[in-house]
Amino acid sequence: MKYLLLGIAILYTTLSFSQSPDEGYFFGGFESNSQWLLYDKGLNFEQPDDAYRANNYFQLSYAFKNFTAGVQYESYLPDALLGYSTAFSNGNGVATYYFNYKNEKVDVTGGYFYDQFGSGLVFRAWEERQLGINNAIRGVRVKYNPTDYLDFTALYGQQRIGFELSEGTLQGLDANIDISQGLSIESIDIKMGASYVARYQDVGAQLELPSNVNVVGGRLDVVKGNFYGGLELASKSKDALFFEGQLVSPKLYDGTALQLNVGYGQKGLGINGTFRRLENFNFFADRQAAGNQFNDQVVNYLPGLTKQQDYLLTNIYVYNPQPALVIENAEQRAGELGGQIDVYYSIKKGSPLGGKYGTKIAANFAYFGGLDAEYNIENRFYKAKFLGSGARYFRDFNMEVKKKWSKTFSTVFTYQNVFIDKSIALGGFIGTQGEIRSNVGVVEGTYKLDAGKSIRAVGQHLWTKQDQKNWMAFVLEYNFNSNWAVYAYDNWNYRALGYDGEDSQTHYYSLGGSYTKGTSRVSMNYGRQRGGLICVGGVCRFVPESNGVSATVNIAF
Amino acid sequence: MKNIALIFILFFSLATMAQKELPMVTLTTLEGESTSIQKTANKDGVTIVSLWATWCVPCIKELDAISDLYQDWIEETGVSLIAVSVDDSRTVKRVKSLINGKGWEYDILLDTNNDLKRALGASSIPLTIVIKNNKIVYRHSGYNPGAEYELYEKVKEYTSK
Repeated sequence: MKYLLLGIAILYTTLSFSQSPDEGYFFGGFESNSQWLLYDKGLNFEQPDDAYRANNYFQLSYAFKNFTAGVQYESYLPDALLGYSTAFSNGNGVATYYFNYKNEKVDVTGGYFYDQFGSGLVFRAWEERQLGINNAIRGVRVKYNPTDYLDFTALYGQQRIGFELSEGTLQGLDANIDISQGLSIESIDIKMGASYVARYQDVGAQLELPSNVNVVGGRLDVVKGNFYGGLELASKSKDALFFEGQLVSPKLYDGTALQLNVGYGQKGLGINGTFRRLENFNFFADRQAAGNQFNDQVVNYLPGLTKQQDYLLTNIYVYNPQPALVIENAEQRAGELGGQIDVYYSIKKGSPLGGKYGTKIAANFAYFGGLDAEYNIENRFYKAKFLGSGARYFRDFNMEVKKKWSKTFSTVFTYQNVFIDKSIALGGFIGTQGEIRSNVGVVEGTYKLDAGKSIRAVGQHLWTKQDQKNWMAFVLEYNFNSNWAVYAYDNWNYRALGYDGEDSQTHYYSLGGSYTKGTSRVSMNYGRQRGGLICVGGVCRFVPESNGVSATVNIAF
Repeated sequence: MKNIALIFILFFSLATMAQKELPMVTLTTLEGESTSIQKTANKDGVTIVSLWATWCVPCIKELDAISDLYQDWIEETGVSLIAVSVDDSRTVKRVKSLINGKGWEYDILLDTNNDLKRALGASSIPLTIVIKNNKIVYRHSGYNPGAEYELYEKVKEYTSK
């Protein structure tokens, strides 16, 4: 490893001195996330055997004229960070590599690649290190753009799982046409697309299972003046119903998805609405992977269509999408239905409410519930209505007002009101544990001092009568300049003033600092991790409670 | 531990000789047309490229802060700013509403498949780079209040070069 890196460095140094556009160049990066877990009596957290853990990623690519090639080396030694998929545990090696040729019309990749069709409803291969997701496809992909209004993609390969490959093989086709451009229509902008993804998986002796499962999708996007809209439909052919590796029904079930998006925008005002209905629409590279808790082997991308919240306390009760079909005695559900509306508005500068710098308002409303369906548990049969009100899973109303008062002082006020099914937030059978209702208020202020110094302070409170009762949190951040920053926070689950019951009050504190210079960033922190869902871009990963020191290094070159 | 230290020193020395060439990556406009930074950037002058997302609070703060100063910057240096959204399909629909609501006057491009983000080796956003003649001359990740003034110093420095 050491010699490899040294070799790369020398190679890079020699080559980088002779750089001009006609010659090749290297690019890539290094990221290391490590933690040292510590015994914590208050949290009842035992130090695990592998107390020190690290996830390391080293990526190096070389581009020369129309060619690019690269590798990504990953190591999870002695173990991956707490809460990551066991597929990475103790893994170490070249995780992905690729070779690409690209010109104006053709783009060919061999090796591992990332891509998505449409909004990802039928297919998305992507990497999100914070979530431990890397479902790159190893195989071949060809993109072809014969004209500026047509493009096609064809791909074939297996999905990456840790350092191995999926059992199932995927093949995909995607086509997009820009109708307005093709027909030279100026008044309205219309685009259409179609996708097809098939999974082939050997059935062995279980001849009743389908070896091929196909997903097809179509979409239409329209823009006219300040209005825009998009509709996407998809359908999955009959597949067996597995849960946590077990075949749970002798029947086969198909699935459908519908997503509609409309919006309006003019200067100072933006409105966007999204509606989505999913019925038995999870799709895995291996039929047996259904229901796994690590987002392993997911082929399509079904994020929670709610607002990504920014603060400690607004991130406790978050929605996790529910596309699956479950017909069990303990739980019955067939999918989800719901949507959200976003409004962004700027109050003009110079008006009474806008003040000298203007005021920016953002509001969001989201609702998701189960499908309105009837179940026959004995026969593993169900029937769902297209529209209708099933059980409520989640409802969120939130509003944020940003105001700059002077050259040096600005504030943000946030209010959030949430209803969530307790099992979605904390795990368990949905619809059996009741709802959590919470209200959160957040006040944030930033004060700029001289010479790039600034202070940011945040105060937050969460009120709820259910679950772990009330929380309050404080954050203090100080920036010495654009390079150095330190912070401290305390996330206090105090339950109720003067609470003295059976459950204890808990402080989840953390303090840390970071140094950023050019393409490098180093940060370190110490503290307690609150257990729960960590979500990035609507996809969530569950992390257990812990205490420890963690360090992050990022370098790009 | 010694090995780790060596590796870090190595990487830092690599990083200081940061990549100068701007990678050629296909992005899309809000209207869905294919384009690239090279095609959108100022042909002679200096261009700021900021990688951001609708869910990234420091990114929005940075672009809001620059928005208040942007007209002055254009008049003084002719600089332009390309705000490249790395929003994925979950949030990309918000981009249009958000920029309208904010009243930003930047060139907005979309990097939905994160090809540019990967090519720049950006593990976190915001990432702000300054380019001139398709070369990256300055790069900074993260945002703290006031960093926009430091950025503008760099813009002025390279405008006069």
